[in-house]
Amino acid sequence: MANLLIILRKELRGFLLSPFGWILLSLVTVMQGWSISSAMKALQDAPIPESLVYIVFHMPQFWFYFLALFPLITMRLFAEEERAGTLETLLTAPVQTTQLVLGKYLATLCFYLGLWIPSFLQFQIFGLLTDLDPPFSTGSLGGAFLLILLMGSLFIAIGTFASSLTSSQIIAGVITVGLLFIHYFLGYITVIYGDQFPAASLFHHISASEHLRDFSRGLISSRTIIYYLSATAFVLLVTHHALNYRRWKS
Amino acid sequence: MIKVDNLTKRFGRHSAVSGASFEAADGEVVGFLGPNGAGKTTTIRILTGFLPATSGTATVDGLDVSEHPLETRRRIGYLPESVPLYRDMRIREYLRFRGHIKGLRGDSLRRRMDEVIERCGLGEVRRKMIKTLSKGFRQRVGLADALIHDPPLLILDEPTNGLDPNQIRSIRNLIKELGESHTILLSTHILSEVEMICDKIVIIDGGTVLASDTPSNLVSTMRSAGRISIELKAEPKVAEEKMSSLDQVKKVTHERDRGSWGEFSILVESGTDTRERLANLAREEGWPLRSLHRHAATLEDVFVELTRKD
Repeated sequence: MANLLIILRKELRGFLLSPFGWILLSLVTVMQGWSISSAMKALQDAPIPESLVYIVFHMPQFWFYFLALFPLITMRLFAEEERAGTLETLLTAPVQTTQLVLGKYLATLCFYLGLWIPSFLQFQIFGLLTDLDPPFSTGSLGGAFLLILLMGSLFIAIGTFASSLTSSQIIAGVITVGLLFIHYFLGYITVIYGDQFPAASLFHHISASEHLRDFSRGLISSRTIIYYLSATAFVLLVTHHALNYRRWKS
Repeated sequence: MIKVDNLTKRFGRHSAVSGASFEAADGEVVGFLGPNGAGKTTTIRILTGFLPATSGTATVDGLDVSEHPLETRRRIGYLPESVPLYRDMRIREYLRFRGHIKGLRGDSLRRRMDEVIERCGLGEVRRKMIKTLSKGFRQRVGLADALIHDPPLLILDEPTNGLDPNQIRSIRNLIKELGESHTILLSTHILSEVEMICDKIVIIDGGTVLASDTPSNLVSTMRSAGRISIELKAEPKVAEEKMSSLDQVKKVTHERDRGSWGEFSILVESGTDTRERLANLAREEGWPLRSLHRHAATLEDVFVELTRKD
């Protein structure tokens, strides 16, 4: 446990002490700010029967920068250690692979959550600056950010896994983007081919865009929560084995 | 402290280590020699728990490295060949992190950090970024990391690789000092280094241990130990014949003439000394004798003889 915290702290420092971390933070803030202002403009122009939160998270640009975030924050994790050879010093220190994987994963998750703090505050600012009630319910705001957390936990695990496969950050990033896009488009299969086939409910079940639609309306489903958490646990387990396999292959 | 027994490591069809066995007693400084690709680094990686063995056992302090990975790693200070470091950290920051994951906390960590910084001569650069350091200083940072948790066993993989002669000297002196209080497994192919520092030598090639003994024993058991050169005034043919007839002399060669002096090279059986009988022979025959010299074999002779391919 102590080792896990030491590694977590080291990784987190790596994010916060480099300009890269702050660039990402400003990127997310700017993109979300842009989404909010265009959403408010859209509400001003025409009546839309949805909340501000829903519209912000359904801006066309949302998925682009959201999915681009994960390769950027995860590709370094193991690929860089492997390239620099420091994986050898880490794995020959009295540290368990589990502690290493979880330490790095949780540090990235913490940093990722930090990225969304300004965006969360932007929604609060609306109520502070105007005398109006915020044009969204607590449920939809909470739901949207809960889903941001859930999707983040799975997608960071996928990125961590990709990073453990290679010593090249670029390749790790490309694998992450590839896997995330596949995951995203699997959810679109029912949109393209309709619901008239037996496995359709499976694709509904894993559709990130449907999750976002429901959660940002405040419809929080325990099935979705369990889906993301169990998939995260599974991918982290695979990462653990991928690292150990690299050590133990003979 | 280290016991390696019949260790084998295969990568696919290729055997990097096949049936290697050797030991290192407490407090010994063991030189681990071999040409490039001999299996040194692989053996070391198995000992440090970075790679698993295909078969055979490796124990550190009586504990099997694959069954007690954490306990054995705690006892080992390891400096990998490439000296991997976090380039973006400062030296103190790096040592603090390494000390932390090796289980040091608070005061004892601070004390150990000051000690290893002092010991490895890092005082003047301790606040610098690692990426700005010269190779010699990086090597010292790696060594400081290996020492930080005060392990009884140090495993150093080519610690003087790529350093200039002054840096090599200072690292070598440091290792010598450390050898007084630690068991050290020192992998290298600089033979003079080994002769100066090590109590024991293990020579490995093609994944098997070819010899494992003290430097002086190794040298004295070598064939080349028995070469004598002699300079005297005599008819070469007669001298060759007479000297060849002495016991324990295997071969006499007339090397060259220097003026009226003839120089001969004499191969004798190892572990014998024929010099006195050669001198007696020269006196009896009335040959003027100018020099009589037994060539001390060097570790290099031993190494080349054991590992050359031709």
